[in-house]
Amino acid sequence: MAINRKQFLHGLMLGTGGAAIAANLGFISTGLYNNKSIKAIVIDFDKCAGCRTCETICSANNHPVNIAGLQLKGLGNPELSNIRVWHYNPPADVPVTCYLCADAPCVEACPVKPHPETGRKALYRDETLQTIWNDRDRCIGCQSCANACKEQRGGVIFPDEEGSPTSMCTLCGGDPQCILHCPYEALSYLEITDSMPLRNLSPDLLAQKLYEKYYEQKSN
Amino acid sequence: MYGVNGKILEVNLSTGVITKKMPDDKYYRQYLGGRGLGMRLLFDYLPHPGIDANDPSNPLMFMPGFFCGFPFPSMSRSCMVTKSPITAPKHKKYPNASTVSYSNMGGFIGPEIKYAGYDGIVFVGQSKQPVYLFVEDEQVELRDATKFWGMGTNAFDKAIIDEVGDRRFESAYIGSGAEKGVRFGSVINTAARAAGRGGTGYVMGTKKLKAIVVRGSGMPDVFDHAAYLSLLDKSRLAFGADSESKTNWRYGGTANALQFSSDRGSQAVKNYSEGTFAGIENINAHAARKQVWKRDFACFSCQLACKKSGFAKGAYGGVVHEGIEYETGTMLGANLLIDNLNGLHTLIEAADDYGIDIITLGNVIGFLMECYEKKLIDASYLDGIALVWGDVDAALQMVHKIGRYEGVGAKAARGVKFLADDIGQGSADFAIHVKGHELAAWNVQGYAKSFGISYTTANRGACHMTGGEINGQHQSALRDTLGACSFASSWYKGDLHYRHFIQVLNGIELSEEEFNLIGERVFNLERMLNCREGFIREDDMLPERFFKDAYTSGPQQGVVLDRDEFVTMMDDYYTKRGWDLKTAIPETATLEKLDLAFVGI
Ligand code: SF4
Ligand code: SF4
Ligand code: SF4
Repeated sequence: MAINRKQFLHGLMLGTGGAAIAANLGFISTGLYNNKSIKAIVIDFDKCAGCRTCETICSANNHPVNIAGLQLKGLGNPELSNIRVWHYNPPADVPVTCYLCADAPCVEACPVKPHPETGRKALYRDETLQTIWNDRDRCIGCQSCANACKEQRGGVIFPDEEGSPTSMCTLCGGDPQCILHCPYEALSYLEITDSMPLRNLSPDLLAQKLYEKYYEQKSN
Repeated sequence: MYGVNGKILEVNLSTGVITKKMPDDKYYRQYLGGRGLGMRLLFDYLPHPGIDANDPSNPLMFMPGFFCGFPFPSMSRSCMVTKSPITAPKHKKYPNASTVSYSNMGGFIGPEIKYAGYDGIVFVGQSKQPVYLFVEDEQVELRDATKFWGMGTNAFDKAIIDEVGDRRFESAYIGSGAEKGVRFGSVINTAARAAGRGGTGYVMGTKKLKAIVVRGSGMPDVFDHAAYLSLLDKSRLAFGADSESKTNWRYGGTANALQFSSDRGSQAVKNYSEGTFAGIENINAHAARKQVWKRDFACFSCQLACKKSGFAKGAYGGVVHEGIEYETGTMLGANLLIDNLNGLHTLIEAADDYGIDIITLGNVIGFLMECYEKKLIDASYLDGIALVWGDVDAALQMVHKIGRYEGVGAKAARGVKFLADDIGQGSADFAIHVKGHELAAWNVQGYAKSFGISYTTANRGACHMTGGEINGQHQSALRDTLGACSFASSWYKGDLHYRHFIQVLNGIELSEEEFNLIGERVFNLERMLNCREGFIREDDMLPERFFKDAYTSGPQQGVVLDRDEFVTMMDDYYTKRGWDLKTAIPETATLEKLDLAFVGI
């Protein structure tokens, strides 16, 4: 069933009780994948000032344009970014990008059969960087991946007009650009360990934790 | 045209008709965006002088700066533009004569309007019931806001996100104060970023417009893509190199100036009767760092993070808010002799939640405190409040009275000039305003050449951001036009001069002189709009206090502004400007030079 972007976002915001519980239990996924450690973007919420520079950097790097035969970085339209900074009131800014979850519920949820040769579903994990990719030719636009991520992790997948997933972090091919340009040094590229706090949660839950930490309150 | 959307959204709140208008290319070349373009449009929307600011035909504009949406550091500001509901000339040619008004805010709303595909949003008319404007790219709708009417700004900021169901929407809104009729109602976006001054929120309230809620996915194309990228890199790097200044902004924001200004005797203290505050150490940036602030926040693509958020415990604790800045900390702190940091934090939060301008609010309460001390009024005038200097509870009661527009609050909600007329007995001497608009937190004695000129010649009535020096006034108008934050202006020099950004975005090549001319044009257009309303030289006058009362302490102790010196100073200013010495109206030659001959009086 095709859902347009607005309906999708509507669902994203309202969430469900069940989704909140699932996200709360989202700690299982750090650590190893196929015995290899995972490196991902890690956010220091104490440092982030919510400036959204990272969005514009990510967008420019991951959406190059061709101008008179030259491939150049894009203008930096935040709409196209793989990292998103969510504003909350009381003031908390919550950047979230793909956690590269070891158990990847998004890939798990993809109903397309593994390809006989590559073993990949329409949503799959890259073996080198372990980033999440979509094979548009095989993707049926069902948005199961987006829903799985929304319900269990950060809600970082945004389906395009055809329902295919976009916005998964590419790690910029191994040289993450957002971490270089964050003016507040809030981002780093680190091996994921089980002891890292505030990972794999939805923006709403992260904001909740930040309220408790900074303002000693639970209100939202 | 590159670098802009080429489209202005016009919303008629009386008829519900929404139109997308394409301004003439010449408007962009001569006025760029933000405050400049807004003023040029204001001229078109006000066919004749004397239109009542309350009249449905008075336009209210949200004008993102020309650079808004492009991620150059600290260029995210937008300007509210309308005709002032606050100011008036001494001698009225028209019953409803008033100046132009504009007010500047940072945050995220300006860029978002650009991303949605518009260079500005203009509201005309007046809705019958409360509405808000919903904008998602091409989809633009007026929606019912009845259930939001009466809501404080904090509650609304949260409620509107639930309503539209997408946290990526940016909004700007008024609080209950402006709805009820507080003349100095402000417009607020993204949790307490305020377009505070000039009553633009009040005008929004007269239109029954609670908010605009905007989400955009596009971005205008640029003229020279490669040069744009290199300028972007260079400007980001420039900020990195200058770490001391950056660190200072992050440490204390404008609150750093609290101690600095008190130390040099330039702070508004005790209703401007003093320039130095004995209790400053209790409410300065260091105190806030230690006791209140928890987080630093930045506007869109900004490296300075001058905005804070805090939380205090103990008496007056439990409130989450930004707390002191220079202006808010001075106006509700030093100017009222309040040095209780938590109390101040609570006062500021209450005022922002009502959505009222804290600069004027501090003036109004300070003025009433002085009247009360001098026994020109008693507690019965104040609905029983014993409004003594330094009393947080009494001040807080006044904030609520004003925010709710009840009793004495409904009078105070009209500003110090109204109060002085009401109270009489010579109180006008210490009603601190120019043209009916109250002064800001920088005091005058010893600084008449800078702040005195800034206050008297500012086009929205007293304003501390205008500057005292002529080229400075043009640069200030240019920054408001470009959306450039004044706190970051020191980084934009040489290779990073603003005009180079205009060139890569739009293709317009400007010499420094031509660039400055745009600022001069905007400033003179505003002046002309004021002159045709009947404002003349006599209206560029400082309050009597500054010609009479010397401070009793601090480095400016004993200094009193000399009347003759003031006249000479103003003569000099008008001469340099090419304005008539007697009337202070721009000369024809000046207008011709600026391509402003079309504005008649
Ligand atoms: S660039 Fe850094 S400080 Fe700015 S929003 Fe992103 S993570 Fe936060
Ligand atoms: S897309 Fe979502 S579920 Fe999948 S790995 Fe990334 S964060 Fe985890
Ligand atoms: S690593 Fe690259 S793709 Fe991932 S969020 Fe950062 S900039 Fe975007």
